[in-house]
Amino acid sequence: MALHISTGPHLRSRQDTPSLMRDVLIALCPAVAASLYFYGFKALWIELIALACALLSEYVWQRLMKKPMRLGDFSAAVTGLLIGLNMPATVPLWVPAIGSVFAIIIVKQLFGGIGHNFLNPALAARAVLLTSWPSYMTKATVPLRALTLGFYEKTLEGVDTVAAATPLLMPGTDVKDLLFGNIPGAIGETCKIAILLGLIYLLIRGVVRWQIPVCMLGTVALLSWILGKDPMTAVLSGGVLFGAVFMATDYVTTPMLKVGQAIFGVGCGLLVVLIRNFGNYPEGVTYAILIMNIVTPLLDRSLNRKVYGEVKQHG
Amino acid sequence: MMKSFRGGVHPLPGLHQGKPLTDSKPVKPYVSEMVCIPLNMHIAAAPSKPIVKKGDRVLMGQVIAEAVGPRGIPVHASVSGTVKEVGNVQQLGARTSPCITIENDFQDEWVELHGLGNVENCDASAIIPAIQAAGICGMGGAGFPTHAKLTLPEGAKVDTIILNGAECETYLNADHRLMLENPVRVVDGLRAAMRATGVENGYIAIEDNKRDAIAAVTKAATGRKGVHVVTLKAKYPQGAEKQIIKAVTGREVPSGGLPMNAGCIVMNVGTAAAVAQAVIDGRPLVERITTVTGRVREPSNLLLRVGTIFLDAIGACGGYTVEEPGKIIAGGTMTGICAPNETISVTKTTGGIVVLNKQEATSMEESPCIRCSRCVEVCPMHLNPYKLKNLCDMNDLETARKNNIMDCILCSSCSYICPSRRWIMSSIKNAREIIAAQQKKGV
Repeated sequence: MALHISTGPHLRSRQDTPSLMRDVLIALCPAVAASLYFYGFKALWIELIALACALLSEYVWQRLMKKPMRLGDFSAAVTGLLIGLNMPATVPLWVPAIGSVFAIIIVKQLFGGIGHNFLNPALAARAVLLTSWPSYMTKATVPLRALTLGFYEKTLEGVDTVAAATPLLMPGTDVKDLLFGNIPGAIGETCKIAILLGLIYLLIRGVVRWQIPVCMLGTVALLSWILGKDPMTAVLSGGVLFGAVFMATDYVTTPMLKVGQAIFGVGCGLLVVLIRNFGNYPEGVTYAILIMNIVTPLLDRSLNRKVYGEVKQHG
Repeated sequence: MMKSFRGGVHPLPGLHQGKPLTDSKPVKPYVSEMVCIPLNMHIAAAPSKPIVKKGDRVLMGQVIAEAVGPRGIPVHASVSGTVKEVGNVQQLGARTSPCITIENDFQDEWVELHGLGNVENCDASAIIPAIQAAGICGMGGAGFPTHAKLTLPEGAKVDTIILNGAECETYLNADHRLMLENPVRVVDGLRAAMRATGVENGYIAIEDNKRDAIAAVTKAATGRKGVHVVTLKAKYPQGAEKQIIKAVTGREVPSGGLPMNAGCIVMNVGTAAAVAQAVIDGRPLVERITTVTGRVREPSNLLLRVGTIFLDAIGACGGYTVEEPGKIIAGGTMTGICAPNETISVTKTTGGIVVLNKQEATSMEESPCIRCSRCVEVCPMHLNPYKLKNLCDMNDLETARKNNIMDCILCSSCSYICPSRRWIMSSIKNAREIIAAQQKKGV
């Protein structure tokens, strides 16, 4: 009889990388549902194409490079779905396809695969698409539902498409519309209730900690208020909430220490407000988080905490 | 008020740390036909020296191996009977250990014992020699000779003795049952240690998941001079020396230092009970409570003679529930050591025997770190385990040293929590052994 021999721990926590990624996918379900509700089958196609291309890129790369097959950790699925949810409904389907391939091959695998990318793959892909095909990426439609259900009664002439990545507030939009997603924008970003449900799920399951989302949203609200804007609208419009919940909480590209995570969140919020109010872009969430991704190694290296035992002798 | 430290984990929440299997099972004595007693159960430069030979008849409690060196302790026969063998036997670890095998005649015929009587009235200077003569070493796991721990060097300023009743390891209930069933012995042991060292403050620290034990010990401690019961938050590794000192006193043991440098002595409650028996009755340490649990038919808390073979103890619990066990662990699942076979012995430090099935025993494959920061969150020493693991993998031991690798207490919390199943603690442990070897060579 051969007994196994190893050091401890002999039993491990149930939470592993696949289960964490699966939880993120589950947390994205309300946003997916909202996108289907507001944009119909077009949203489904966008999400499926993005998802499929991400998985396929991961598979082909690992196959060709003879790397261990890691499709089962679901990280590529998360990246794919995030890219899909970041598209406007009018986008041609090849755009999310290119985004997913770029995210997985260039941003993730070329830097060493899971755990080694220094930028959030989904966000980096979005930034590339935004600069390469700005017209496709910024043509956000007013939700289909709004028209058919008729509860979007604001002036619609000439604003069936709005020239902004994730347009900020249109004049006359009220908070209810903002919350339910009855506004133009990327298909997964508009329904704030769905995103908040996702956040609550992630917090309860212990997948993400509160530091980054709370610090980021708090900073956006506070600075907007200081600048004389309505803080509630600032937080609920555009991609801030989606970014704070699903993009800025990516483990790989955020700091390890709690204090680092707090600084990261504040930094994201600060950059969002600066870009929105003083930059040329109407929306700055993508670049804000990407810039803070780059700052992450610096934060990890420069922040230290007190190790147990760094004390004087007693007595 | 509940006391605690920063960091740590709540292991195996779905199984309630594996405790419910045995936490309500009263301690049952079990005696086997044969015992194989290792002579290196304590930490020392050399094992104890055998003074009996094959064929000798020995009485229970008779010294069968003498102490070697100032830190050495004697080993006593845990049964009466005939010596069958004096020689090397495979035990825990890579090398074999010198052992004395005794066939039990089931007479339990004791040698004559000379106790000091009451712990409060006896000659305080006679306590430490009595502890050494009884062959007592730390029963929580490390096996440090207790008389050496209580012999304070010149100028040491110790004002606190903490009895460790945290029992934060998974699956184990040996200390829990002891405190519940024999709290007076535990308190007596603490008082003996306090009198021997002249220390005025004694604490018995127990995790809040053992409310019954807290009540029992509190009752036993009532009216005893300088004895306090402290409730700790149930969290792993609450019972680690440095963490329990921080929780109870708020002090930190300086890096590279001993508990003494924080004015403390920490002793396991089982050790304290053994001290009480040694002082009051002059009874040597020949038996201990061991939780035998996991994949066995009747998980139990057994009072076992030192030297009982694992397989006999498992047999006393109805045997395995699986055809073939996957792993047999001496200790709990966080820091326990894997038995190389079923025939190793229960020693003075074996608090538990945990049997895992094949599936539980299968090693999980490491995947890349996803920087989730859980290891950083749980490290009770506030280190950066992920960074140390990377440095160890890159063999950059110099930088690892600068990142406080030597302060790691090898508690395994980081490996336990890691979603990428990385063997963080193992890498740190290996690297430290290399560093220690280099230091020895003077590199």
